[in-house]
Amino acid sequence: MIKTIKLKDAVGMKLSHDITEIRPGEFKGAAFHKGHTVCSKDLCRLQKLGKNHLYLIDLEADEIHENEAAAVMAQALSGQRVVWKNEPREGKIGLIAESDGLLTVDTAALAAFNMIEEVMCATLHTHTLVKRGDLVAATRAIPLVMKRAPIERAAAIAGQNGGVVSVRPLRKGNAGLIITGNEVFHGLIEDRFASILTRKLIDLDCEVAHISFAPDDSEIIRQSICTHIEQDCDLILLSGGMSVDPDDVTRKGIHLAGAQEIHYGASALPGAMFLVAYIGDIPILGVPACGLHHRTTVLDLILPRILAGEKIGKKELAFLGHGGLCQDCPKCTYPHCAFGKGT
Amino acid sequence: MQEFDTLLKKSSAAHGHLCPGQVVGVRMAMLGCRLVGLDEPTRIDQIKKLIVFVEMDRCTGDAVAYVTGVKLGRRSLKFMDYGIMAATFVNLETNTAFRIISTEEARDLAPVYAPEIPEKYPQQLEAYKRMPDSILFRVQKVRVDMSEYDLPGPTRKKVSCSKCGQVIRDNREVVQNGHILCKPCAQGAYFSEAEEITWPDMNWTPPKKKANDHR
Repeated sequence: MIKTIKLKDAVGMKLSHDITEIRPGEFKGAAFHKGHTVCSKDLCRLQKLGKNHLYLIDLEADEIHENEAAAVMAQALSGQRVVWKNEPREGKIGLIAESDGLLTVDTAALAAFNMIEEVMCATLHTHTLVKRGDLVAATRAIPLVMKRAPIERAAAIAGQNGGVVSVRPLRKGNAGLIITGNEVFHGLIEDRFASILTRKLIDLDCEVAHISFAPDDSEIIRQSICTHIEQDCDLILLSGGMSVDPDDVTRKGIHLAGAQEIHYGASALPGAMFLVAYIGDIPILGVPACGLHHRTTVLDLILPRILAGEKIGKKELAFLGHGGLCQDCPKCTYPHCAFGKGT
Repeated sequence: MQEFDTLLKKSSAAHGHLCPGQVVGVRMAMLGCRLVGLDEPTRIDQIKKLIVFVEMDRCTGDAVAYVTGVKLGRRSLKFMDYGIMAATFVNLETNTAFRIISTEEARDLAPVYAPEIPEKYPQQLEAYKRMPDSILFRVQKVRVDMSEYDLPGPTRKKVSCSKCGQVIRDNREVVQNGHILCKPCAQGAYFSEAEEITWPDMNWTPPKKKANDHR
């Protein structure tokens, strides 16, 4: 139950919630914290903050204060490698990445959670690469005091799959590169793919163990894949030969190498002719030639997910479509843009 | 209690089709029975313990009735014409009751839970299978004061309408100015212009069995 009392009668009482001060462009935060005992010198400042009345809270048994509600929800929302401190600020609690990795958001559970009245949680996009200490989500209850049951229901929804936000560490891939194409193999042009792919892999803390070159010959491509696997590569990237020309035989080479699953085509541009296959547990990625021209392609969306242990199949490649259109900006700002953020 | 898939299959067959409302109804009934502590509500030792108040005459209502085994004629199924997707499960033995309400947000969340299915009803059907109970339902612990005249068992009272002579069972009569009346006479009815008629083959009876046909 909440009672309203006049400010002049509030001296000696403890504040029931943080009181926010906003100085546009300069400051936003708590001017007074919950639990602060109001004294006469505070009255003028409180009036300047627009407070002529204050709340006195006497909780019923079935009621919960916003700070406790935020803690209940933060606990339920936090999945693996996400931590939080029970130090609400203006009713909000931030959820923090405990380690580097790939943020995974259970978007269905998040939507269901936010459909409960009087609660909210906002997160970064799922599949965002995060660093230890990054703020990945925040939650709060909307009113100062609310019924306990909806908060507990919201927490149950948030916890249905072990939390809404979690961070998955990336494994250190031991990658093999196969650069295909007669033009490179026979020295007609200089290869640029190897350096581009190597940079992307190193940025994700992978090691490029072997690089080989193959002509447009499916049997030689097959041999190269098998050799890389024998050399203990646990991730193989093939560049080129992914298009529709008669010389594009990389896909056939992957098939001949024994790939059990081959998913050709991704709902992203650039990268529509991307391929994901698996030989045992080893991911085989076919990178189309767009990877030479564009700084960011579908590979940048999928590679971290693979390193985080996600199995990529038809559904995952199809769901890239929403937000999968790169705007090809003159100066690429990825990941600070909408590319790949729709799933 | 049988598995969800089995119950859904049988309930849909009894209802006439498989639909999102059937999924919600089967799950609502399973949750309701769990909450009131009856794991086999159709079994003879539990069948008289359960009363279910259904607040809608929709597919969901049929599924609730099928799974729980409650029936209008057994007086274990009560229809409350509220137009609300809810049902209350009462355990007469323990005097506990829970009202389960199907949430509107579950409908809005169907595209999130089954995004790969574009058509509305197939999407809802699949999504309602995938959602946890916490999303599909809200639950209230409630008190239901049952009149003895609403309980299963033999008719406890019979009176006759002072206007039309119709026998009225189980305390459903209305007393106006000291006169006992049936509800149609006292309050009007869903029908009007009632006129007694004769009809063809008025003396039809079911065929009598032959003397040696005692199978």
